[in-house]
Amino acid sequence: MDAEKILKDVNEIFIDVLDNEDIVLTRESSAKDIEEWDSLNHIQLVVAIEKHFKQRFTSSEIQNWKNVGEMCDAIAAKQNQ
Amino acid sequence: MLKGQEYTQLFQVTDKVYNGFIETFKDTNPLHTDDLFAKEKSFSGKVMHGNILNGFLSYFIGECLPQKNVIIQTQEIKYNLPVYLNDKLNFYAIVEDVFESVNTVEFKFYFSNENNKKVAKGKIQIGII
Repeated sequence: MDAEKILKDVNEIFIDVLDNEDIVLTRESSAKDIEEWDSLNHIQLVVAIEKHFKQRFTSSEIQNWKNVGEMCDAIAAKQNQ
Repeated sequence: MLKGQEYTQLFQVTDKVYNGFIETFKDTNPLHTDDLFAKEKSFSGKVMHGNILNGFLSYFIGECLPQKNVIIQTQEIKYNLPVYLNDKLNFYAIVEDVFESVNTVEFKFYFSNENNKKVAKGKIQIGII
């Protein structure tokens, strides 16, 4: 799956989990840019991402994510393992 | 908690549970309080409030797991069959998934009655805090 498709899928997950059809993610998007992206919703986002991409991350891996781009890079890296 | 771990618990909708629910939440809809009304709607008697089962779920998460540092994050439940006063319910839950990254555990569960019929089933997601 290429980077564009990963970002598109992640965007759809954000729209669904955060219940906000207006979300348009870029690689630079972070929790500061999306009001609903709080600590509780972050858990639901990670769970949904892990289910969707059939991947598992560690807590230290997700703590390194500073923005959506790093999240997508981590997903791509797992796919290439 | 590990994927595949199973838990069982017996619950009963006693008078105390039923009356306590009504006393607390004031839902006196005749389906839940009037045998005649319920029978006119093709039930065997007054139907217990579905959310009584959510109380049992709360007990399971709060009291029956090996650790107390837990919080319910999401839950969904589907009611398949009515539950009546004094019904004994077998509760079964299995750890369906574990998300170590966010300290989250997902269970599938069901309640079955004394006729081994599933009266409700669903999923519940908890966080380890």
